[in-house]
Amino acid sequence: MLKRNQLVLGNKTLKDVTDDICAPIERVPSKEWMGLFLSAKTLFIFYIITIAMVVSTGMGLLGVNHPIAWGTMIITFVFWVGIGHAGTLISAILFLFRQKWRTSVARTAEAMTVFAVATAGIFPLIHTGRPWLDFWLFPYPNQRGPLWVNFRSPLLWDVFAVSTYATVSSVFWIVGMIPDLATVRDRAINKVRKTIYGALSMGWRGTAKQWSHFEMIYLVLAGLSTPLVLSVHTIVSFDFAVSGLPGWHTTIFPPYFVAGAIFSGFAMVITLMSLVRIGFPQFKDYITIDHMEVMNKIIMMTGLMVGYAYGSEFLIAWYSGNDYERYVFMNRALGPYAWSYWIMIFCNVVAPQVFWFKKLRRSIPVMFVVSIFVNIGMWFERFVITVTSLHRDFLPSNWGQYAWSIYDTCILVGSFGMFFTIFLLYLRVLPAISIAEVKPVMNVGRDDEHAHGKGH
Amino acid sequence: MSNLENNSEKRSENNSRPQIERNTQYWKSFEEYNNTPEFQQSLQTEFMSSPLREETAHEGTEKDHVARREFLKLMGASVALTTAAGCIRRPVQKIVPYTKQPEEVTIGVSNWYTSTYFDGQEGLGLLVKSREGRPVHIQGNPAFPLNGSAVSSRAQASLLGLYDPERLQKPFRNLFNEKRTNHETVNVSWEDLDNKVVESLKKGGVAILTGNLASPTLRAVVSDFSKGFGADHYTWEPLAQDDIWNGQRLSYGEGVVPSYRYDKAKMIVSIDADFLGAWGPAVTSAKLFANGRRDITNMSRLVSFDSTYSLTGANSDIRFRIKPSQQLDIVLGLIAEIISAGHSDYANSDAVKSVVQAYKGVADKLGLNAEAFAKVAVDLWKNAGQSIVVAGGIQTKTKDSLQLQVAVNFLNSLLGNDGKTVLAGSGNRNLSASFDQLLTLIKKMKSGSVKNLIIYRSNPLYNLSEDFGFKEALTKVDNVVYVGDKMDETASFAHFVATDNHALETWGDSEFAQGVYGIHQPLIRTMYDTRSFALSLMTWGYIGQVGPKRLQEYETYYDYLRAFWREEMAPKLAKGQDFETFWNGLLQAGYVGETTSSSARTFKVDAFKLIKKSEKSESTLELVLYPTIHIGDGTLANVGWLQELPDPVTKIVWDNYASVSLKLAESLKAKQGDLVEVKVGSKTLILPLHIQPGLHDGVVSISVGYGRTKAGKVGNDIGHNAFTLVTIDKDDVLFAGLTAELKKTGQKYELVTTQGHDSMEGRQIVVTATNKDIEKAKDANIHRHHTWSIWSGHQYNGHKWGMAVDLNTCTGCSACMTACQSENNIHVVGKKYVMQGREMHWIRIDRYYTGNPESAETVFQPLMCQHCDNAPCETVCPVAATVHSNEGLNEMVYNRCVGTRYCSNNCPYKVRRFNWFNYAKLIEKPMHMALNPEVGVRVRGVMEKCTFCVQRIKEGKNKARAEDRPLKDGDIKVACESACPTQAITFGDLNDANSRVAKAFKEEPRSYELLEEWYAKPSVRYQSKIKNNDQITPAKKGAGHA
Repeated sequence: MLKRNQLVLGNKTLKDVTDDICAPIERVPSKEWMGLFLSAKTLFIFYIITIAMVVSTGMGLLGVNHPIAWGTMIITFVFWVGIGHAGTLISAILFLFRQKWRTSVARTAEAMTVFAVATAGIFPLIHTGRPWLDFWLFPYPNQRGPLWVNFRSPLLWDVFAVSTYATVSSVFWIVGMIPDLATVRDRAINKVRKTIYGALSMGWRGTAKQWSHFEMIYLVLAGLSTPLVLSVHTIVSFDFAVSGLPGWHTTIFPPYFVAGAIFSGFAMVITLMSLVRIGFPQFKDYITIDHMEVMNKIIMMTGLMVGYAYGSEFLIAWYSGNDYERYVFMNRALGPYAWSYWIMIFCNVVAPQVFWFKKLRRSIPVMFVVSIFVNIGMWFERFVITVTSLHRDFLPSNWGQYAWSIYDTCILVGSFGMFFTIFLLYLRVLPAISIAEVKPVMNVGRDDEHAHGKGH
Repeated sequence: MSNLENNSEKRSENNSRPQIERNTQYWKSFEEYNNTPEFQQSLQTEFMSSPLREETAHEGTEKDHVARREFLKLMGASVALTTAAGCIRRPVQKIVPYTKQPEEVTIGVSNWYTSTYFDGQEGLGLLVKSREGRPVHIQGNPAFPLNGSAVSSRAQASLLGLYDPERLQKPFRNLFNEKRTNHETVNVSWEDLDNKVVESLKKGGVAILTGNLASPTLRAVVSDFSKGFGADHYTWEPLAQDDIWNGQRLSYGEGVVPSYRYDKAKMIVSIDADFLGAWGPAVTSAKLFANGRRDITNMSRLVSFDSTYSLTGANSDIRFRIKPSQQLDIVLGLIAEIISAGHSDYANSDAVKSVVQAYKGVADKLGLNAEAFAKVAVDLWKNAGQSIVVAGGIQTKTKDSLQLQVAVNFLNSLLGNDGKTVLAGSGNRNLSASFDQLLTLIKKMKSGSVKNLIIYRSNPLYNLSEDFGFKEALTKVDNVVYVGDKMDETASFAHFVATDNHALETWGDSEFAQGVYGIHQPLIRTMYDTRSFALSLMTWGYIGQVGPKRLQEYETYYDYLRAFWREEMAPKLAKGQDFETFWNGLLQAGYVGETTSSSARTFKVDAFKLIKKSEKSESTLELVLYPTIHIGDGTLANVGWLQELPDPVTKIVWDNYASVSLKLAESLKAKQGDLVEVKVGSKTLILPLHIQPGLHDGVVSISVGYGRTKAGKVGNDIGHNAFTLVTIDKDDVLFAGLTAELKKTGQKYELVTTQGHDSMEGRQIVVTATNKDIEKAKDANIHRHHTWSIWSGHQYNGHKWGMAVDLNTCTGCSACMTACQSENNIHVVGKKYVMQGREMHWIRIDRYYTGNPESAETVFQPLMCQHCDNAPCETVCPVAATVHSNEGLNEMVYNRCVGTRYCSNNCPYKVRRFNWFNYAKLIEKPMHMALNPEVGVRVRGVMEKCTFCVQRIKEGKNKARAEDRPLKDGDIKVACESACPTQAITFGDLNDANSRVAKAFKEEPRSYELLEEWYAKPSVRYQSKIKNNDQITPAKKGAGHA
């Protein structure tokens, strides 16, 4: 049996772990954090103003037009929903598979999920022509007949899928945090903090019975979350796949979207973890190079799956004998938006190939750069799917170009502002690594041989 | 605040409703019977549960302190004031119920009135729809002998001129500095204006400049006035057809613009005469032309020699690209071919032979396909007496224009067409406008003999180039009176602006073809303090006490008109009816009389002998100017509907441009949208370049009518004024064949088109077959798809609406688009937003080029919502805002739409339009009066699309129900259908086996569904286009996989 590296480095005692993880919550924020937060917050405010302008003036401010009726907002929506997937995968699926390495990254990955879904969830609401009537998208008893929603519409399925996902992943995340919040509460020296964390920890006392309940509910929630990892992006892909548009109307979309989502999610985890390691050096012992390497392997694998899907789409388009289908794919690779297609191919298929080399997949600068590439590539994947399919469909007289405007840029950049504002706040106020889950996977009090030699 | 509160209470006391008398006979309570003070008080308040009542009830109690009263005080005095004073009191102002309706007006029901439209070239009989006393929509008058139900975009859009916020609303006076370089517009009363004008008119030297006057009565007024003041009347039009007029005069002895029976001709040759587009009576011509092509086994052939890419060229079976200087060679070449083949009586005439000798085999010299050219001559002779050769329009106004007309006339006479297909008898004798008259006027103005100039709705300061020197000449005129409704380029140079009514506010009559008289009814009382041109002349005659009695006698133009008709017209037209019956019949029918018959005239061969082509007329690059179908001479430039109507061929909106061929652009190293400098003599114009497939390599063509500077907010500085390039050479006014130089400036410009791509990419979109193809199978070139479904589909038990579009008769004229825009309140979004792909047209005309770019051919396809049975939009809408009706309509519920735009994405035809902004808010008063009250104005954020004019369907069904009869085919005519000059669009009930549309679906072999393989099962079917060019379409490689 190969010997496995320790999951937590630095010969920590259990107290060290608690101290390290609680430190960011308990001390004055660093200059770096303040700098990042202020810039993210500025972007966020900018984002709110942009949304206010779009909502008050009209969708026409964005580049959406005839024939490209969906644009930046839908692209960025799918992008953020996809980002979320890695979190649930790490926290739920890897939990069920007893992957112990997940413990130190699960909390932050799950937080990323919640925030990414929150960021994404805004888009379907503001991308409508009359956002003030968005509540019509939900089936509720009403006095208009009653008038129900159209259950045949994939967009409606999307509403259910995303709202379910948001709910379940938030609950999973919050529940998993309860013992740690209690730890923070117990360590609190001022009254305000004690009260707040006391309320958040919901009366956790750490009794055996509570632990028993906790582990059961955590397992149940993990079980509930697991299918969502697969279903949410499947349903998001239905928005496209169920329509009749060449380039959208493909059966490969569900697995392709899920793979892409996990791909982009892990890339975002790598991006964030690299940043966390820089921002909070003490976390380097918990989020080790080994963790990063494992995730890089997943990135490489899902990258290959996505690459396979790209190839398969072309093959099927050719094999179908459908002229419209063939044209759309040739147009993707060679048409006016070919640049976006090749950016996508480079970022998603070519760039992750560096991870074949162990040295490179264990290098923080390399993986950071690759993860940024993957993030960009996955945004472009959705751009390619949405825009290039719509811009040249059946009747050539309809063909047109997306009218990208400054508002599109603001919406895209602003959404990062929102995400990072929340994420940075999270790093400050909640334990970013699960204290309760990390401690059991440490070697403290165990025989080294016993802990690792037998393998898991 | 308390003061206000007190005031409000006082007010309510003062405003208390009148005492209600006690009814002692019927009483409902003891309080009422006894008439207690409490009861009286209760009567004062309208609602028993009013907040104020509760207030009084709690007055003085503890609850009162924190109760409503306090709250109201906090809410602010103004709220208290309005609620207390207004809410529970009945209004003091009296409102009158609509018990006594104005005659003929029923609220919610539209009335239609006959009227006419004349733009200086073409006259149309109209039906104008009026709702609650305001005109809202214009259609053709089906009974009218010329255009029938056909109508042009411009005639329909002239409606907006009525409601143009910038239309002048009263008379004005312009004060000038000494050099006439600056002016100030001041108000003037009519009285003042009349006195000053008459004072000046009495000094003599009066000249009147008008366009063509089609109205016999108005001509009588002008002539009465001229007699009175000793005035000279000059008629001139920027697009004058004086070449035809003079050519006819030289050839046959009498000036006339003949009418052409395109329906009776089997072979039509057009030499730059855009008779389907912007030349002559284009709407009537298109109608007749389509009639000659409806029977596909015996359809006419149209050959066009085209120096621009005109709509006529686009619809031709065989199109030759030429330079303007080649026009005369072509006609003479055709004559030479026929003569040398020994045909016709002239074959032995030496005189004729000597003229045409040199033109034998001219096709090679001109770079035309000699074989095809010879075939044109053969076809012409084969159809002698059943053919038309026609040339005209400003595209033919070269140095040789008169010779060209004589040659064309000769060819028509030689073929025996004159009197059969070319009719002088039913021609228009009112199109006498000419540049000769204008030049004479300018000469007189310059010499100082014109002291008073009255200009009626002509805009010489815009329409004339510097060569004419009109501006200098105008400064020599002491008193310029402008009669029009805009402070346009010319009006702002006039001393007095005697503001004219809009056409829809004016009585009038017309004679568009000899013997056919139309009546022009006003649809609305003058909205402002304006006065018709005729009444102005009559008033001046009255004040000046000059002219015949009838000029001074009548108080209104209407009286004059009626008297004129009673005395002059009724005797020859009334056929014994008494005048009132005749008059009412005339108003109802909109016209009276019939065209006079024509017979062949004798061609004066002498005229032909004089033909001598001007020397050195050919140059490497020639300029040709042309009017477009939507903008024309630029008069209606301020109408947004027209500016946003895509040019039928280029599909460019809101601009004009220099069109050149691909080869010429390559040699200039210029791309689409590069700004180029066009130099003609000493005149230059900088404008964007447009690469036009199918143009001659030695031609640069530019449309006129753009570049207005004082048209109004919409039309100002749109495009560039190409009239400035018009050149006078020895009294010849030249619009075409001018030597031009083209230079790149290095700057870029955005030309905006509504169509992103010009090729069909080999897909089955517009199916074209040739006359040879259909000899084998009528449905030639249509690939049918095998489609099936596991679902049985919708059941339609009542009506099932459908539409058939015949691509063979559609000319792409775009009248349907304007009709739809007017009927359905469709907004104009402007150039910037068209560029972003946000035009709102519910029906659009797709134009595709086929063949190679050098000699590209054109096909058109009107595309509206296809009202699919398996509508892809319906399934994807999350809120069910677009639903299927039980009559097969795909309905759009604006109120329910939240605007996800998923429907648009899933529509394979992409016919849905989204309200990106709140366009309705931008409608300026009184423009909102042009809105059709039967169709809602959509708010921001909702999707919209063609409804199959559901309001017309409802109206038709209601009417049938009211008359207690089943709905007949043709009862319901949708807007695009009724406007279509060629009746290419047919709407009806598919469940009615005898309806035209059901027959077109079932029996017409040329019928096909667009994107049939998508299986949306559209309710619209197209019929393939037939090209009568004797070619056989080569079998398509891999056909069947489209």
